[in-house]
Amino acid sequence: MTALRRALADTGIRPWPVIRAVAAGTLALGASVGLAAVAAWLIARAAQMPSPADVALAAVFVRFFGITRGAARYLERLASHDVALRGVVTLRERTYDRLAHSGGRTVLALRRGDISARAGQDLDDIGDAVVRAIIPVGVAITVSAAAVAIVMSQLPLAGAALAAALVGALVAPALFTARASRISGKELVAANARVSAAVLTSIEFASEHRVWDDSAAAERDLAEANLEAEAAQERAARPAALAASSHTLFAGLGFVAALVLAVAAATRGDISGPAAAVVALTPLAAFEAASAIPAAVAQYFRSSAAAARVSDIVGPSQAQRVRHTQTTAAVASLPTLEVMNARAAWPGNSPTPPVNATLPAGTCLAVVGASGVGKTTLLLTMAGVLEPADGSITLDGRPVSADDLGATISITLEDAHLFGTSILENLRVARGSVTEDEAWAALDAVGISAWVRTLERGLHTEIGAGGDTVSGGERRRLLLARALVSTAPIVLLDEPGEHLDDLGIAALGAFVDALRAERRSVVLVTHDDAVKEFADAVVSLDG
Amino acid sequence: MRPLDPRLISRIGPARRYVIITASLGALTATLVVAQALVIARVLAPVLSPRPLETDGLGWWGAIVPLSARDLGTAAVTLLLIVGARAFVTWVQERQAHRAGTRVISELRTQVVEHATQLGHRWSVSGAASDTTTLATRGLDNLMPYFVRYLPQLMLAATVTPLMLVIVLGLDWVSAAIVAGTLPLVPIFMVLVGLLTREKSEAHLIAMQRLSSRTLDLIVGIPTLRGFGREQGPGARVRELGDAHRRATMGSLRIAFLSGLVLELLTTLSVAIVAVTMGFRLIDGNVGIETALAVLVLAPEVYLPLRNVGTHFHASTDGLAAADAAFDFLATSSTEPPESGVAPRLEGATLTLTSVSVVAGAGTRLAPADLTVAALPGVVTVLRGANGGGKSTAIAALAGLVVPTSGTVTATCADMTTVVLAGRGGSVERLEWSRQCAWVPQRVDLGPPGRLLSLGQRHRIALDRAFASGRPVLLLDEPTAHLDHASRTQVIARIRAAALAGATVVVATHEDELIAAADRVIVVSAQEGSP
Repeated sequence: MTALRRALADTGIRPWPVIRAVAAGTLALGASVGLAAVAAWLIARAAQMPSPADVALAAVFVRFFGITRGAARYLERLASHDVALRGVVTLRERTYDRLAHSGGRTVLALRRGDISARAGQDLDDIGDAVVRAIIPVGVAITVSAAAVAIVMSQLPLAGAALAAALVGALVAPALFTARASRISGKELVAANARVSAAVLTSIEFASEHRVWDDSAAAERDLAEANLEAEAAQERAARPAALAASSHTLFAGLGFVAALVLAVAAATRGDISGPAAAVVALTPLAAFEAASAIPAAVAQYFRSSAAAARVSDIVGPSQAQRVRHTQTTAAVASLPTLEVMNARAAWPGNSPTPPVNATLPAGTCLAVVGASGVGKTTLLLTMAGVLEPADGSITLDGRPVSADDLGATISITLEDAHLFGTSILENLRVARGSVTEDEAWAALDAVGISAWVRTLERGLHTEIGAGGDTVSGGERRRLLLARALVSTAPIVLLDEPGEHLDDLGIAALGAFVDALRAERRSVVLVTHDDAVKEFADAVVSLDG
Repeated sequence: MRPLDPRLISRIGPARRYVIITASLGALTATLVVAQALVIARVLAPVLSPRPLETDGLGWWGAIVPLSARDLGTAAVTLLLIVGARAFVTWVQERQAHRAGTRVISELRTQVVEHATQLGHRWSVSGAASDTTTLATRGLDNLMPYFVRYLPQLMLAATVTPLMLVIVLGLDWVSAAIVAGTLPLVPIFMVLVGLLTREKSEAHLIAMQRLSSRTLDLIVGIPTLRGFGREQGPGARVRELGDAHRRATMGSLRIAFLSGLVLELLTTLSVAIVAVTMGFRLIDGNVGIETALAVLVLAPEVYLPLRNVGTHFHASTDGLAAADAAFDFLATSSTEPPESGVAPRLEGATLTLTSVSVVAGAGTRLAPADLTVAALPGVVTVLRGANGGGKSTAIAALAGLVVPTSGTVTATCADMTTVVLAGRGGSVERLEWSRQCAWVPQRVDLGPPGRLLSLGQRHRIALDRAFASGRPVLLLDEPTAHLDHASRTQVIARIRAAALAGATVVVATHEDELIAAADRVIVVSAQEGSP
């Protein structure tokens, strides 16, 4: 739960706007309580048949509360959403900065779907903690206190009884909901994951199941997953039902206690009729605010889970990366990358076989091997993102570091991103100063300029999210063009796992030639043997 | 979108039962609420009245709650019983809601998945399949809030509100007239606000979605930027986009919350008007205190379900939309042609594709285009060609999984009879045909136990299964893609051995080694433009 606290601290939300939203919410729900109290007084006083002037003020208040509720609720909703949205914007910016400044190891290993889910829905969920948990709980407490104060001012004993019932109506549903949330957080999430897997495979592999007569097994698997999800839902539903039911019970008990005490006191003549009406009828409206508790607690758990997930990828308190400008500046313009007996591995995983290679300026090294042997891991190690598990990788004699990314080394991973902007801006991702002529030259080199020329807006065509879709082959060549326009003398390229067709091989060959012409060197990770033709050296990771 | 989809009631058993149960519980709740209000009026009236009560202020309803409830002891016991009953009804309602929700979701999900598996191979590899997967999982899960929160309130609005109105009418027609007059204003104003703001909220929604996807696009690209050492700049841009998104969202919320404002305003103000009117009529002596109290307590209860329906409406829309999409999906029919005729035995058969074309993508390409190939038994036939040329589709057509858009698939059996399997002039039982083919696609599942294995491991086991199956036709799609050199050689040897044993073997591949091991090589290519 500390992850949520940290995340909320990170939103930079100040107490004052939250207090303002709570005040508006209190005014809204308090208006209902006020309406109940004043209307009770008005009816009871009117029964004594006074002159109409005696109840005129009360009548004004009743109407006032009738209008206040809607208006104040509107203001509260706007205020609370504004606070939360501002918080989320700040949080998103800080999350971005954290990710950008964290060691490349965290960032480069992230999958696109993960980043998008964490930076999207999860941050919104953290913001929802403000709107749906913190503010409603604040309002529930203040409104409950106000109701207790009204009743207590007339009949202290009834006030105390109401206070006890309100505490019960706040605490019991909260505890039951917490239990339900814990169960759904664990069991239901796991059960739903199993259902998703069963649905996905049933649909995606329907043909295979037909051909190999596995359909019945897949159906059974889905049925079992469904049953498991139903059972988990059932376990979570039990305390959830108790939460709702305990609210009704405490609200009822509180109101019956106040009513009985009020009638008894009035019968004894301890309090006046109107006072008895206020004591008896105010509690009917007093429990509405507390009814928001189950939803608030459930939201708290959802937000906490979201915060924990975000903190998993961003890291709780990652030290800001300091760029070692001194060391990076010491690299020659034509550096040599040397791999000496290096084994690459993610921490805790088995390492690749030892690799030896030298990459002088203007050469191409191919890294081949079956999928899963650690080709990409080796590439990340060459980029200085991962420490070698063994041996060393040096850049002109000193260990390579993640700070070399940019000026000396560029790395393009298999799932590199095409931004939702123009083709030109997508090339400028590698270097901001790319001119249109340079862009055309790079597109020409990888054999894709003809395609770009057929597009109505040419270089300025929007691609990626919200723009034109590009095919797999076009995407791959755009990524090559982007790597080409960067100024880094060492280019690391992770090829997609699928096979390249003849066009793809040709583009890759042209790419390597273009780099060679600029005396830049390139490391290609692939499992396509065809690239061996244009590599100066080949390292195989197959044992 | 209708608040209660009739298809949900008519086709999903648990949903029908739940609606009936919820409606009954709603009626029960309404009765308890009425009884509670009448008892309150009974017990409170004597202490508020300046002189002893002579008449029964509850009119017609006096029969429900006898005069004995004016006694504090009786009233207290009755009220405690009512409170206990209400707590119990709430508990039953919640339990039923969750149970019904999970059952309906499971049943709808099973139906959707079952239907999806009937739509054929081409559908299951299309984008529509992944949309359907999302619908069947996350989409349908959204029905839970609909069943737990929204539907019970809808049922209460349908039962409690009219019942309360009748009760109030029996007590005091003036108050009933006020309530009856304001009640229709709620839906009228809600619709009006909705209509007036629709255009604006749609524009806001589009702006919000655009900004939000741009922000995410930027963040998702962090690893890429980091790879070029260019991650520093966009932080400020994330902030700018985020602020723009916040302004757009607030703009849309200012409008969206208007309907909530109208709803709260109308319902609360109506209660206030009833109370104030009642007060002045009490002073004039036109109405008794007992009646006034009962109306005062009941008035907010008339509007409460309406208010709750409004509150939970947004939580329900996603679920309703998902149910809607699910029913629409269930109504789509398979485009596969009907089957007529028995599949022949394929032992020693020659499978021939004649001028086969299959429409791909959005219908603007043919992949393969005009492919003719005869796969003889005892021969390794290799299909090669550029990515997207239609090799996998050709293999699937040979397996009886894809029906060609034009051209035919024929089998010349060992007894020299020729049967048209698919295409003009014939269409045989495809399941029977498919199960004589040892088909190994590029990505395999192997059923539930396979999920613990890596893709490479699964592929190897799938190949073993194919080689060991003894099926007369061996159809392999990129069988060596994930293998190292040693296993590759082994697989090629097994392919040769299968052909030697008389199987009809067709392999799609890029690998030079495998192409070198083939007896016949056919190039498969695509063609732009529809047929």
